Amino acid sequence: MLELNGVNKSFGGIQAVSHCTLNTKEYKISGLIGPNGSGKTTLFNLVTGFIPPDHGEIHFQGKRIDGLLPHEVAIRGIVRTFQITRILPKMTVLENMLIAPPHQTGEKFGSLWFKQKAVKKEEGENRKKALELIDLVRLSHLKDQFAENLSYGQQKLLELARGLMADPKMILLDEPTAGINPIMIKTIMELILKMKEWGMFFFIIEHNMDVVIELCEWVFVLDNGEKIAEGRPREIQNDPRVIEAYLGV
Amino acid sequence: MDLFLHLWIMILIYTIFAMSLNLEVGYTGLFNFGHVAFFGIGAYTSALLTLHQVPFELAFAAALIAAGLSGFFLSIPSLRLRGDYFGIATLGFGEIIRMIFQNEVWLTKGPMGLPGIPKPVLFSCRFATLPQYLLLTLGFAILTFLVLRFIIRSPLGRIFKAIREDEVASTALGKNVFHFRIKSFVIGSVFAGLAGTLWGHYITFISPGDFTLLETILVLLIVVLGGKGTEWGPVLGAIVLIFFQESLRFLRLPAEWAHYLAPLQQMIFGGLLVLLMIFRPEGILREKGKSTDVGTKRCQ
Amino acid sequence: MSFILQSIFNGLLAGCIYALFAMGLTLIYGVLNFVNFAHGELIMWGAYSLYLFMEKPFHLPLPVALIPSLSLTILLGMGMDRFTFKPLRQANRLTLLIAALGLSFLLRNGAQFFWGAELRTYGFQIRRGWRILNMSITPNQIAIILTTLICIMIVYLLFHRSRLGKSMRAVSDNLELARVVGIHTKRAIQFAWIISSSLACIGGILLALDTNLQPGMGLINLVKAFAATLLGGVGNLWGALLGGIVIGLAENLGVLVISTGYKDAIAFGIMVLLLLLKPSTLYGAQE
Repeated sequence: MLELNGVNKSFGGIQAVSHCTLNTKEYKISGLIGPNGSGKTTLFNLVTGFIPPDHGEIHFQGKRIDGLLPHEVAIRGIVRTFQITRILPKMTVLENMLIAPPHQTGEKFGSLWFKQKAVKKEEGENRKKALELIDLVRLSHLKDQFAENLSYGQQKLLELARGLMADPKMILLDEPTAGINPIMIKTIMELILKMKEWGMFFFIIEHNMDVVIELCEWVFVLDNGEKIAEGRPREIQNDPRVIEAYLGV
Repeated sequence: MDLFLHLWIMILIYTIFAMSLNLEVGYTGLFNFGHVAFFGIGAYTSALLTLHQVPFELAFAAALIAAGLSGFFLSIPSLRLRGDYFGIATLGFGEIIRMIFQNEVWLTKGPMGLPGIPKPVLFSCRFATLPQYLLLTLGFAILTFLVLRFIIRSPLGRIFKAIREDEVASTALGKNVFHFRIKSFVIGSVFAGLAGTLWGHYITFISPGDFTLLETILVLLIVVLGGKGTEWGPVLGAIVLIFFQESLRFLRLPAEWAHYLAPLQQMIFGGLLVLLMIFRPEGILREKGKSTDVGTKRCQ
Repeated sequence: MSFILQSIFNGLLAGCIYALFAMGLTLIYGVLNFVNFAHGELIMWGAYSLYLFMEKPFHLPLPVALIPSLSLTILLGMGMDRFTFKPLRQANRLTLLIAALGLSFLLRNGAQFFWGAELRTYGFQIRRGWRILNMSITPNQIAIILTTLICIMIVYLLFHRSRLGKSMRAVSDNLELARVVGIHTKRAIQFAWIISSSLACIGGILLALDTNLQPGMGLINLVKAFAATLLGGVGNLWGALLGGIVIGLAENLGVLVISTGYKDAIAFGIMVLLLLLKPSTLYGAQE
């Protein structure tokens, strides 16, 4: 699905990602773990086009995506969430959701005037889907609230739901359970598993090993920008190199 | 009575001007500090064409197109910039346009200005008297209000707001932020040109000195005072500020005072802007947390 | 040929003045991370304040009048920060910029209120200069160059050799971190305003010496200062210096080919060209 080949990225003198080669293959849920500063979010930024790689190639579903602008990558079917949630504060929960679907007819100025029927129809459908997803994350009672009024956990749920609304082929989650209480974590995990059933692919950066073990079929480990291990979660847990990386020995 | 009509004509013209800026600043989050440029381009284009016997309908259309095209060409190099850089670029553009009005004497008659701008004749209706002109501006104001409201409440408008709120998130969701910013800017420029055209044909004499930073400050003040990012904010702001501005004109103060009054009034505008930003940046009307998508109207 | 040489000289001269403007602007940008839209008015008030103290009722001679003039401008700059920018440090960018714009408008009209809109000059006699290499060089012009060099030297010493300068650089790097580490950020910020205002004041005086005074002179010089800042890399003090010189040269050489009415537009044109050619460095999304 998502393949990186010899990807390098440095900032100033610091090598954030070096010689990274990984392939999520057909695993529905892949994990990316590693100590703080190991380059995980940088990797996400590289994949989603927010920063260009210095060397190497990135392929998605067989097609090359490195060098594309972020919105172009998103159109290709990769959606992401952010470590610090980026919900749209002064827009309602519902509006936050309705932003997500790509290629909306109503986005084109001409269509607004000349294809009003099509726009209305699409809006109705999107709205229906949005309300369903909002219901799934149990935020229905807040649908007309400005997103800035939601709690942190609710915002994370919203960001996740919004990502799903975009109907991507793969969704990149950057620490989806960070700073969340256990009940919410359970909700998020259930949602991810449900989406997996519906055919969605996930690539998740996580620090919470319980979540990783529960969800991920395959895990990649980064340390200082390099991939030091990959494998099934339980194997990774016991891998001495991984343990060493986390303990900083 | 005449004063009353004059007041409302000015209020309506500035409402259109402010609504166009509100789309850019209030809804899309663009720091446009040179909006007066498009006001002026609209005014000069229409004035020059009608002075050369071009029928008003054509001149009017040309003015809108000129304003929109200028907006387009300004935005291409400058809209990729961060907010403050874009702000300065637009500020500079406003000055440049004024310089062009001033220097291209062969076209604009430079500092001497263009007198005798004919009254509009729209589809054989002549709008010469005050009540007629009021009707004309009212018509366009309502049209502008409805058109812009339609855009704002549509998926396109939603994207404008999303870009204002968080351009990174918008990009990550597949929206080409640059393109949408340009769209917003061009639409705003067209309506600014519309306001400028109406103004030019009302005043019947325009010169480069009419299109300065003062106009930008005034329209910015109207937008933020009334409440940026709201539908009625620009209307409210225009009523309050134009009333204030025009009323001073009719107080019939001694001529020597005028020398001090103009800068004083403008100092008040500047000071008001500062105080507003410190104490009540949202303005009078605040954005409400209500849903604005197209599909819901019937359901409610 | 001598024409071109003269233009180059004039360009360097103007460039010195623009360099002072740009350095002041970029300093505030570096330390507080925003473009001070009212910087042009600091320039303008700097120029007018000298006028104020040289005319009645003060009638101070030039060197002496500089002291109250500088002090007034510095007070103005610090007042700007204290009463407008400080309350808005946490506000969103648009709010801050609108306030700065409003402030600039307030100050500009304040000057017009006191001195009217007509052009004024300091009233110095135009002294005959010397002819060197077929160029005309007046004592005034020498004064401009010398003053600029002295200012640059002082700024360099302050910035790279003093503790306060070091703390300014730390603050411009990372305000929060500087504060946490114990650097006296408040003092560093004040110091930045003092230098920025001083540079604006001196630059404004030199400009007015070379041309004239009018209340609207702030805006166009803000645009030029910004163009110079952009050329040299925003936040880069020495880049601003270079950028100023380039703008000055471009203006004076440019009028050899285009109409003088657009002289002031050259800086803007350079800015647009720059933006067209390297927008990547300014792409906002990489925050």
